[in-house]
Amino acid sequence: MNKIESHCLMCTQSLKITISWKMILTKQFSPTICERCVARFVPSQSATSLYQYNEAMKDYLHQLKFLQDVALAKVFRQELHNRLTKEKAIILPIPMHPLKQQERTFSHTDELLKAAHIPFIQLLEKTTTETQSSKNREQRIQAAPLFRLKEGAQVEHKNYLLFDDIKTTGTTLQHAEHVLMQSGAKNVQYFTLIEG
Amino acid sequence: MRYRGWLLPPALRDFHEGRIWLKDHSPFSSVDLEKAIQRKYVSIIEGIQMKPAIKCNRCHNTDPHLFTQFDCSKCQQQCVYCRHCIKMGRVSSCTQLMIWTGPKAIKINKHSLKWAGQYTELQQQAANETLASMKAKRSHLIHAVCGAGKTELLFPSVYDALKRGLRVCIATPRTDVVLELYPRFQQAFPETTIHALYGGAPYQNGYAQLVIATTHQLYRFEKAFDVIIVDEADAFPYTFDETLQRAVEKAKKEKAPLVFVTATPSAALLHTFQQESYSFIPKRYHNHPLPVPQVRSLWGYEKCFKRGKIPKRLKKWVEERLHQKDPFLLFFPTIDLMKRATPLVQELNEDILAVHAADPERKEKVLKLRNKEVPGLLTTTILERGITISNVQVAVIGAESLIFTANALIQIAGRVGRDVQFPDGEVLFFHHGITAEMDEACAKIQFYNKKGFSE
Ligand SMILES: [Zn+2]
Ligand SMILES: [Zn+2]
Ligand SMILES: [Zn+2]
Repeated sequence: MNKIESHCLMCTQSLKITISWKMILTKQFSPTICERCVARFVPSQSATSLYQYNEAMKDYLHQLKFLQDVALAKVFRQELHNRLTKEKAIILPIPMHPLKQQERTFSHTDELLKAAHIPFIQLLEKTTTETQSSKNREQRIQAAPLFRLKEGAQVEHKNYLLFDDIKTTGTTLQHAEHVLMQSGAKNVQYFTLIEG
Repeated sequence: MRYRGWLLPPALRDFHEGRIWLKDHSPFSSVDLEKAIQRKYVSIIEGIQMKPAIKCNRCHNTDPHLFTQFDCSKCQQQCVYCRHCIKMGRVSSCTQLMIWTGPKAIKINKHSLKWAGQYTELQQQAANETLASMKAKRSHLIHAVCGAGKTELLFPSVYDALKRGLRVCIATPRTDVVLELYPRFQQAFPETTIHALYGGAPYQNGYAQLVIATTHQLYRFEKAFDVIIVDEADAFPYTFDETLQRAVEKAKKEKAPLVFVTATPSAALLHTFQQESYSFIPKRYHNHPLPVPQVRSLWGYEKCFKRGKIPKRLKKWVEERLHQKDPFLLFFPTIDLMKRATPLVQELNEDILAVHAADPERKEKVLKLRNKEVPGLLTTTILERGITISNVQVAVIGAESLIFTANALIQIAGRVGRDVQFPDGEVLFFHHGITAEMDEACAKIQFYNKKGFSE
């Protein structure tokens, strides 16, 4: 559903959208937030993420994840699409624990990719409902594996790109990478919307 | 009646009566909730209604742009949610909304009015007229100039309603105003349970017969109130948010009368009420006329600020205020212009501060001006109403800008001379061309003064 937004998804100000030929010919997504809101996000210098974490990102994640405003998954669809559409590795969004996902009613990593029209698959399962941020460094390192392979998943000799919303400590991504490499994956890289 | 081992906790009843609430967000245990549902004390309705047209059952939003569909992991279906009221906890297709239909809260019919103040003749008349309308279940408009003392004249009507066991709500668009009104009503009605509701307000015990709330919070009520008083009726965000008006309509009982209180009624409000249920107070409580704005040209002020200079006339005015130690407010049409002007004005006095809507230190900065810790503030229209600062002087920069409607200008001028100790003061409209709105604001203020002092 490529609905054209009439108002900024973040500040509700009306959007003055002129559909250009370029937008149609290059199959660009129409904008979902206003220029003022766009300007609040700061691009990341890192090759493995799109944006820096700042006040605007904090607001964004709060509204998407805590207020459960799934519509916001569309905000970065163009940028994510540009970055990931030519990706050759198989894209694996970091999953949520099924109970957590039921509670939130959606998985934000899945929704970010769906909105950007990026194909992905699920091979991993989250084993714990605890969050990483509630633990200290030692606990994080010693913790039991956070993920396991789904039943019947074949990962041998393939390349993977893990996708998450934010890289806070790297523990989550390390755990996921570890499981995949142990099971015979050829190479595992990662990419996040926000660098921590 | 058979005793089945479960007694309704009074707190559950007291909280949920009149409210429409997300079942998952109820502050009570699911055991008690399930029992209450079994007893049919609660009716459950779906969050989003699809037929005949899509509608949010909490906020009554029907704008299709403000609904989003997604694959829901909770109900395993395509779910729709309302973005209009999302800040109060998301309502989606699979959300259960609960409405209390059980036993009514026990009302304590012991109320007292503790207020020793004196009404002016005009206040007394308006208070009597409002009370008469309330008794006749007729809606009423109180049109009172800034500083007329409109809060006190509501006391008799509120007192009468409370004594008759009616539930009363005072609704206002701004949290600032809720926080200002709450202690005043607590003082006036010391025996009444009063709740103050706004975004982020804490849980409050008991059944409140008097509720002071932001208009937004009314979405969380349904057929709850016997009287709703809408304060600052013209100050709805975006001046006319239809769904907010619907919120008032939905929160009141069907035949409940409304009281609108405003200094700047819309033409529609005036048209509806002027003939019968209308009180007009053109004079301030301290019996001094409203300060009349002075209109001054400030040609090319924008370019001037861009060149890094304060326009001469404005500079002179600020310097005079600094010299005489009068607190002052400079109103700007945009944040951008204000930000450009701030360092320049600070060259005149480095303690001068700037505030805007999203400023987390807004309240502290206003307090600093009130306590004379800073000589003046630069501000956007956010401070146009609600604040009272003794002896404050006001200048509007770019009074011709679209954002300065006649109502906004009247409210801004209304900041000046509220204190009986300093009933006068300067209001300047600095402009790059005179607009009809500026003319209207000045004409109305002069008209009120003429009306107020005609005898
Ligand atoms: Zn915006
Ligand atoms: Zn709603
Ligand atoms: Zn659902």
